[in-house]
Order: sequence, then C-alpha cells, then structure tokens
Amino acid sequence: MDKRSFVLRNRKLIIVLTLLLAAVATVPLFSLKINPDLESYLPDNIESRINNNKVGEMFGTKEPIVVILSTEDVLAPQTLERIDNLTSSFLDMGILSPVQSLSTAKNIRSEDGMMLVDPVIESYPQDDDEIEELRESIRQNDLAYKLLVSEDFKNTMILLNSDLSVKDAELMNMIDSVINLYPGSEEVLINGQPYLRGEANEKISKDIMILLPLGLLLMLIFFWISFREFKGVILPFGVVLISIAISMSLIPLLGWELSIIGVLIPIMMIAIANNYGVHFIARYQELNATDPNTTMEEIVEEALSYLKRPVVICGLTTIVGILGLTVHILLPASQMGVVSAIGIAIALLLSLTFIPALLSFLKKGALHFHPDGESRSLIAKMLNSIGKLLARHPKRVLAGFAILFLATASGIAAMGVASDFNNILPAKHPFNKSIDIANSEFGGSKLMTAVFEGDIKDPGLLKRMEHYESELVKVNGIGSATSIAKIIRKMSTALNDPNEEGYNKIPDDRDAVAQYVELYSMNGDPADFEQFVDFDYTKAAMTIQFNAEGMRDLERVIASVDNIIGDDPALSFTGGYSLVEKEMSESIVRGQYYSLLFAFVAIFILLAIIFKSISAGLLGSLPLLFAVVCTFGFMGWSGIKLDIVTALLSSVSIGLGVDFTIHMFWRMKSEIASGREYRDAAVTALKTAGRGITINALSVMLGFSILFFSSFPIIKSFALLIILSLLFCLVSSLLLVPAICVTFKPGFLKNGKRYEKSV
Amino acid sequence: MKRVFKYFNTLTIILVTSSFAASQNPREISKKSADAIALGSMEMTTTLKIFDAKGNARSRTLNMASRKFGDVTKMMMKFTDPADVKGTSILIYDYEERADEMWIYMPALKKTRRVVSNERGKNFMGSEFTNADMSKPNIEDFDYKIISSENINGRACHVIEATPVSQESLQSNGFSKKVSYIDKENYLCYKIEYYDLKGKILKTQTIGDYRPVEGGSYFYYEMEMKNEQNGRKSVLKTEKFKPQSQMTEAQFSPSNLDK
Repeated sequence: MDKRSFVLRNRKLIIVLTLLLAAVATVPLFSLKINPDLESYLPDNIESRINNNKVGEMFGTKEPIVVILSTEDVLAPQTLERIDNLTSSFLDMGILSPVQSLSTAKNIRSEDGMMLVDPVIESYPQDDDEIEELRESIRQNDLAYKLLVSEDFKNTMILLNSDLSVKDAELMNMIDSVINLYPGSEEVLINGQPYLRGEANEKISKDIMILLPLGLLLMLIFFWISFREFKGVILPFGVVLISIAISMSLIPLLGWELSIIGVLIPIMMIAIANNYGVHFIARYQELNATDPNTTMEEIVEEALSYLKRPVVICGLTTIVGILGLTVHILLPASQMGVVSAIGIAIALLLSLTFIPALLSFLKKGALHFHPDGESRSLIAKMLNSIGKLLARHPKRVLAGFAILFLATASGIAAMGVASDFNNILPAKHPFNKSIDIANSEFGGSKLMTAVFEGDIKDPGLLKRMEHYESELVKVNGIGSATSIAKIIRKMSTALNDPNEEGYNKIPDDRDAVAQYVELYSMNGDPADFEQFVDFDYTKAAMTIQFNAEGMRDLERVIASVDNIIGDDPALSFTGGYSLVEKEMSESIVRGQYYSLLFAFVAIFILLAIIFKSISAGLLGSLPLLFAVVCTFGFMGWSGIKLDIVTALLSSVSIGLGVDFTIHMFWRMKSEIASGREYRDAAVTALKTAGRGITINALSVMLGFSILFFSSFPIIKSFALLIILSLLFCLVSSLLLVPAICVTFKPGFLKNGKRYEKSV
Repeated sequence: MKRVFKYFNTLTIILVTSSFAASQNPREISKKSADAIALGSMEMTTTLKIFDAKGNARSRTLNMASRKFGDVTKMMMKFTDPADVKGTSILIYDYEERADEMWIYMPALKKTRRVVSNERGKNFMGSEFTNADMSKPNIEDFDYKIISSENINGRACHVIEATPVSQESLQSNGFSKKVSYIDKENYLCYKIEYYDLKGKILKTQTIGDYRPVEGGSYFYYEMEMKNEQNGRKSVLKTEKFKPQSQMTEAQFSPSNLDK
C-alpha cells in the first residue's frame, strides 16, 4: 500500500483538476457586469424608496441633473447666449424635460395695473447699464434669484430631469456633446445621480484594470525578495491568480453585478490568498536548507503534515471573520463576504493540495534559507526590544495599552456616518465641486419633498404651507422651501397692485385661488406646476432644498422639518433621495454592527474550541476588540466617516488579525509545555512566532496598500484604515496578548503538547 | 382579356387622379381648406376636457364669441363651469400686425386686469391646443407639397405637407412641419400631424363632427389634440355654434367683462 499522503498519492489528479478549475473559472469573467447604482442594492420595500418613487409618480419628478455654469458674471451677453443654446438643445433632446434655466424662467409682475408675463431674459443686455437693470429685475424675482442664479451672479443652474429612458453613460455622453457644441469661457460642472453613477461605473473598471496588475506585480516582487527562487514565486502566485479568478467569476455565476465594493475583492485576494502558499514555500526552503539530502517528496510530506493544522486554523478564522459580512443588509457587502470567503477557502485548499502536488514534481532548488542572517534584521531587533520590555515591565505595557486605548477610543464619540455617497468621487472632481457650489451658493444640494393631501386650493392649507415655508428657511442648513403656496402668493403680486389688499398674499377665498391658478395656466406651460401639484389639485409637494454634512447634521435637519410640518393634518408623507441616502447609511451602520457581532461571536467560539477554553476565546478576542475600537476612534479623530466601504473593514481586519493571536497562543503554549515560565515563554514566542506574524502582517498590509492607487477616495480611506487596523492587531498580539499572559497566567496555555516551531 | 381590361382601368384611374392632383396646387388646397371653416366671427358654447398622461380629466365649459373689427379679431371667453371659476372672463384683441392684447376678469376679486404677455406659441387654457389652433392658419407662413393620397373615414384625402417658409415662422409656430389630411371634395381637414424641430412626431390633431353652417361653410363640433410625446390629450366639444356674432364692438370691451 502507498504510504504517502493523500495529496502525493493523487498529485496528478490534483494538478489536472486545479488547472481545469482555473480554466473553467475564467469563462464567467467575460459576463461580469458593473452596477454602480448603490440604491439598486437596497431592498425595494424600504420606506424611503417607496416614498421617493411615490413622489416621482405623483409629480413627474424623475432624476434631476444639475448643470452649473460658473463665471465672473453670468449676465454677460455671451454667457446668456450659451445658456440659451444649451437650454434649447437640452429641450430638443426630449428626454430631459422639464428643463429650467434663466432661459425658461418667467418674470410675472404687476405694473401700472397690468399683469406682465415676460421671459426673464428678453434680449441680451448691450451695456453695463442694461446688465445692472437685468440684475435688479432678477433680484426681484424670487422664482429665479438664488434658485437659478447665485446671490453673487457668478453661478447659474440649468436643471434637467432625466426620464430614465437612456443609460447613464449614454445620457452623460449626450449631455457632454451638447456642452461641447457650445463652448465658452464658463466652467461647466455637473451633478446628479446619473452623472455619479456614470463616473463610478467608468472608475470601477478603470480601478480594476490598474489595481489588479499593479497588485500582482507587487506580489511577484515580494515573492522574489522573500524566496529568490522561481518555484517560490510562481506557486503562491498561481494560487493567488486562481483564487482571484474563482472569486470574481462567482459574482456573475451567482447572478450578481460588480459594485464599487467589488474593487476590493481582487485586492483582498492578493493580500490574503498568498499567506498559506507562502508558509508552504518558506517551510520547503527551511527543510531543504537544514537537510540537503532529503528528497523533494519527503520535504513536501513533512511540510504538509507540519503546516496542515495551523494553516487550516488561520484560514478558517479569516473565512469566519469575512463571512461576518454576509449578514450585512446591503447586498454588495454580503456578496463580498460570500465571494471572498469562498476565494480564501479555495486559496487555502490549493495551498495544501496544488502547491505540494506540483512542488513534489519539481527539482529542489538552491539553498535560500539563512537562519543566522535573520537575527540582524530590523524585525528581529524590534522584536528583541519588545521582548525585553515585556519581560521587565509587563504591567507597564498593560497600562500603556490602557492609556492608548482610552485616548484613541475617545475619538469614537466624534465618529461620523456619511449621509450620502458624494465621497465616492474625489473632492476635486467636478461632481463634488458642483455639489460645493450648490451648497454654498444655492439652497443646498440635497432635496426632500413633503407631500400634502387634501383640497390644495383651500386657502387655509395654502396659508399653513406658506407659514411652514417661512419657518423652514429659518432652520440652519435649509436653503429654500418651495410649494404651490409660494407660487400662488407670487401670482397675487401679478394680479394685484402693491397698494391693493390682495397683493403678495394667499387670497382668503377658495374661488380666488382657483381663478388665480386658471388665469396663470393660460399664460404658462401646463407642465409649469406639475412638480408642485397634481393634476386634480388634491396633492401638493413642498420641495425643501438643504445642505447637511454627515448623518448627525442630516438627522438634525430632518428632525427640524418634522417639528415644523409634522403635525399638519394634511401632511401625507415626506420623501426624496436624501431620505433614501439616509436609510442606506443607516443600514450600513446597522450592517456593520451585525457583521461585527457575528465575527466576534464566531471567532470567540472558534478560539474556545481550538484551545478548549472560554478564557482563550475571551483573551483572543481582546486584541481584536482593541483594534476595532482604536480604528473607530482613529476615524473619529481623523474625520474619516463610516461609509459603504469603510464599514466593511472591521470584519476583514478581525478575520485577519485573529491569526496573529492564534500563532502567539500556540507558541506560548508549546513553550510552556516544554517547561518554560510564562515570562520566558512569552519572550521566546515573540522572537520566533513574532517574526512570522510580523512578516505575514506586513505582506497583507503591503497588499492592501495597492488600494491607495484607487480612483475612489473611499477606497483609499479603506486602505489606510485596514492597514492601521492590522497594525493595531499586530501590536496588540505582540504586546498586549503576551503582557496579559505574563500578568494573569491563563490556565489554557498550560495544558498542551509541545508545539515545535512557529510557522 | 378581363385582366388586361382591369389593368387598363387601374392605369386610367392612376392617370386621372395624378393629373387631377397635378392640376391642384397644394397651396390652393390648403387655402380652400382654411376657408371652408367658419372661424372668425361666431358665438359658441364649448367644453374643453384636458386629460393627463394617466387619463385623469379636467373639464371647463365656456362661452366664446369672436368678431372681426377692421384689422383686429376680438374674442371673448367666459367660464360657466366648474363653479369655482364660473364668471372668469378673458378678452383677447388679436391684431394682424402687432402683439395681442388681453384682459382678464376675476369674479372672486371683482376686478379686471390687463395682461401683457411676450410669451409666444402658448397653450390654450392650459390644454394641448395652442392659441394658433383656435384661429385660421396664415397660409403665407408655409410651403406646401402634396405627398400622397389616403382614405380617412372612407373619404379620399390629399395628404399635404406644410413646412415653415422662414426661421421666424418656424420659431413662432414651434414645429418643423405639419401633415394635413384634406378631403378632396369638400376640403375639410380631418387630421393634422405636427412634427417637432427634430422631425419627430409631436402632436396629432383629429377634427370631426363637421356640420354645415349658414353661408355655405362648415364648423367642426369636435376636435382632439394628442401630444404623442407626453401622452397628454385635450378634447374640445362644441355644444352650440352660431356663425356671425351679433355682439357689438362695445360688448367686446374690458369694461364689459364683468357682465
């Protein structure tokens, strides 16, 4: 009977199957689709989405796109001409109506007993006097001033409404070509969801095209520096490639699409999937160096039996941590959980089957292992001094950690949650520049709609709505509140002279309201009021334009709105994209708590089982808790908000960070079993296992550092935070864990077999 | 033999119709079509129904009277239904050479107000009809071309395409062309299709229930305008029609609006 292990007995089959799997995995990659629309990942039945759709259906408001023209003075004739040309071209497109701009705006007023209806821009002003005259007339027009033109006349808006009939990229191309058709000196900035999605879509594919090759190249260099041997480079690299291919191809296979979060998946694979293969190659080189006479097969057998257990355990804990994401409410997060967990499982499997199978066929390479050279390395020196500190002052180390913990953790109070997805794009991106202008020069970039139901021509209701409008604009952050009430009041200024009783007020008589509306509709487009009142005047929308920075601010504005209008008997509901964004952000936070809880519980159980001790579970979770809390604290101090991407990091860092602690426990247990005291065991573990842990941590951090090259700032923030979080994990497993063990001498470390050497 | 005869017959018909059509000037046909309708001086009661894209309807009933005095056609409209706008009146002086003048009367405020609007090509009463649809088209504004013949409701019709002669006329009318279906015998127009500036169909107007009126001309008692792009529709149904208004010029004055 063949006494070789399963892997060596079936090595040919393993190699063939692996290559087959790799080939099959590349096929679905071609059907991978990108979907940058984060809203589409929300369940359809959440309240804010239902309400937002209801508002859209009632008032025909579809998806707004804002085009801002910025220049010295928007009333310059050439700028006005450009606005005219752009407006009529946008109107001609037929899929963007209603289009609102200075070109479409009307000036309705009363003069000498007459009602005058003129376009705001009747002709282009010819000289400075005419420009100033026009400026003054716009200042008097509260349906244009500060809504279509900024207070300083340096910015003007063209408001478009996409009817959603054209795909984002195509729509934005059409808009771009119109803008290019009429060039001018004005800076043109665009915002709106179709633009954001279009840009994100382009950047997601660009990101993967850049980050993936860059990451792979970095890995190749890292492997070469580490092993200086072709085998050592190509085997773990192959495993990384196959696991990336499999995890990415699972996305279309499971019927999913690639979101912005998907950018993280291949990079995570690069950072994590090589770990297990690296251990194997390192062990092979070590064994080759210690006994040059052994055959390759013997080396493979020994390495395999030696590594199986620790590698499987580390792999499992990582998988469990990342699986925490599957309980996330947002689909892209749970997708990432499933896909990366399977990818890592594949990497783990291949590292213990494919790598040894293939390696056993290859010739032994030259010796590359220099055990003595290591003691002079930076890592060794650092570990030495940590060891000394630990041996002399374990309590001081604990106290130091406590202080660091409290100092960093206090930042949690300041930790904010992003209330929108604008930070997907860089701050200097035209999208965000236009958001900034909308916030600072116009009423704000966020919209909320309050829907009133009843007899909208009832003067009582209209007067209440008018009152709310004036109260709402007093709230800090709310720039404007507009409803049919404001328009009817505006009509009264055209239908009455300033000295008359009815001037600039909602009439007291219902018939008068009806007649105002009737008369106005004769002079305007039937669609003029469509966005404010429905066809039979039973529902009215109040559009509240505001600006909010972060979740707390958004909540404050929403609470103020509720406070002002919430008790009105005619109020039906409030809707708007801002509320959808709010609900999305809330589900991100909730999702993060669920994932975190899941990961902690799972890892606690796993540790308790591995070390057959509850205190091992508790003690092992401690560095993770420390790292998570400190990372959140850091986010608070640095102002990085919790968003759709950063909310994922704790699950990932827990999954990876727990490995460090496991290695430390293992080694200490082994040292204690061989008769050492807790203190000596800790110092030895630090010098031996500590080195492996540090190299492992650095390689993972290096992998994640590729994300700094992403075009998405939120992914760059993720890179910073995950690296920091891993650093916290590393420091606490190298210092906190041994310090606690030295101080409290937990029992579970005592009952065990001798564990040979660290991985 | 029979077949040859049939061919011969068809050929004759084709020859006869085409020579007949050739003898007919499309501009002439269009002018005759415009003249066949008793617009200009009349009194009528009409109901305007405006439908939104979802089929919700809004109904307005009004009395209208119009009469030409010199170069100005004066038109008076008074709402009779619904109750909240009952009594609201509009007076329009439609000059041939200069901008229209308009006055409105609001019974709730008991006052008359003059309206000066520089807005062109506007919708009639917030409907899909434009003010231009309420009056005779200016024949000189367009170039005409017969494009085919077609049967509408069993009547043989000329299909005539009219395109604005100038940029000015294009802008003021707001469409790039209109295709009219005009009865070959009595010149009544049954259908008009309007195309937007990009050449896409914009609106379809159907005109029906023609009844002869005194003086040998006709009046349509039903007219529908459907916006093909936004799905909205407006229907005008005339309940009473009397050609040749007897109202005096004094009755068409702003001071008479509240009567």
